[in-house]
Amino acid sequence: MPMLRGFLILVLFFLLGEALRVLFLLPVSGGVLGMILMTLSLMLRGRVSDDLATASQALISVLVLLIMPGVVGVFFLASQFSGQWLAVAAALLLGTFLSVLTTLLVMKGVLRLSAQRRSND
Amino acid sequence: MTELVSRFIAIPDLLAASPILAIGLTLTAFFVGNWLFARIGKPLWMPPVLLSAVILSAVIAVLSIDYVRYQEGALWITVLLGPATVALGIPLYQQIHHIRALWLPIVVTLPLAATMAAVYAVVIAWALGATPEVLASLAPKSVTAPIAIGITEQLGGSVALMMGGLLITGVVATLFVDLLAKWLPVEDERILGFALGLNGHAIGTARAFEISHTAGAFSSLGMGLTGVFTALILPLVFRL
Repeated sequence: MPMLRGFLILVLFFLLGEALRVLFLLPVSGGVLGMILMTLSLMLRGRVSDDLATASQALISVLVLLIMPGVVGVFFLASQFSGQWLAVAAALLLGTFLSVLTTLLVMKGVLRLSAQRRSND
Repeated sequence: MTELVSRFIAIPDLLAASPILAIGLTLTAFFVGNWLFARIGKPLWMPPVLLSAVILSAVIAVLSIDYVRYQEGALWITVLLGPATVALGIPLYQQIHHIRALWLPIVVTLPLAATMAAVYAVVIAWALGATPEVLASLAPKSVTAPIAIGITEQLGGSVALMMGGLLITGVVATLFVDLLAKWLPVEDERILGFALGLNGHAIGTARAFEISHTAGAFSSLGMGLTGVFTALILPLVFRL
């Protein structure tokens, strides 16, 4: 029962997110809106109930199962994108290399700056 | 006798009329994939989701089940992605105290790096002549899968292509973080964890937890914040 009660809370937040999306014509998915609302409500409440913890752990532990049907599509629909493989491969490999480099350099730089400022104070 | 054989051959097709076959096949491939993943020593370049999906695709092809029909049945599973995305708000809330400790580097790095992760990929693919559908499928490549599926649907991309790109991005982001950590060098586990989660979503986070618990916590935070930020910004940018 705790799991189902927690699941109901998750479903209600998801439905709330979907309702807001449709109501305000938002380009963001109902799941993401529900997640933001969930995080905000937990910050207000200050703690996670046992029901919610049980249900969310159960769902998160089977995330791989939930995304599998989407991955299967790669093998059945890939031929649609033949002729664009070079663009896709370059975007994924070079793009990821550059974005990892950017993340590391920016965060390292800001950490160093804020450490310097602290030592100057 | 031949009648029995022909009826035997028709079994997968007849059972595929109900969603329960798709559910049974997906669950079986999930457990076999996880078991095989543990047996081959949990390699970073072969995430369990890819292993399970390869097995599942092979079974669907061998039994010659119609792919569209499979996806109709699998809707009983994928519909749970909505509440599962909401559930990601709970670990995000539990990591939020890290933001208080390091808010300045996070507030500066996150919007910039999460935006550039999408911009680099889209610009490179666009320069090499990719179609708008492919660009929309590549843009959320650093976002965790449940959120990325929602983004791609909003942008009008292909979920299948996006999932392929997502898996490759996760694996190569993990390799590049290890490589660049030595080159630059970066030793701070908080930076490495954050970079792994921001660029390599759940696959990067799995690697971060191998480095240390701190790296794992920062990776979860980076993954969660990137997901939220990208989901909010990308559809607005794509509208223009």
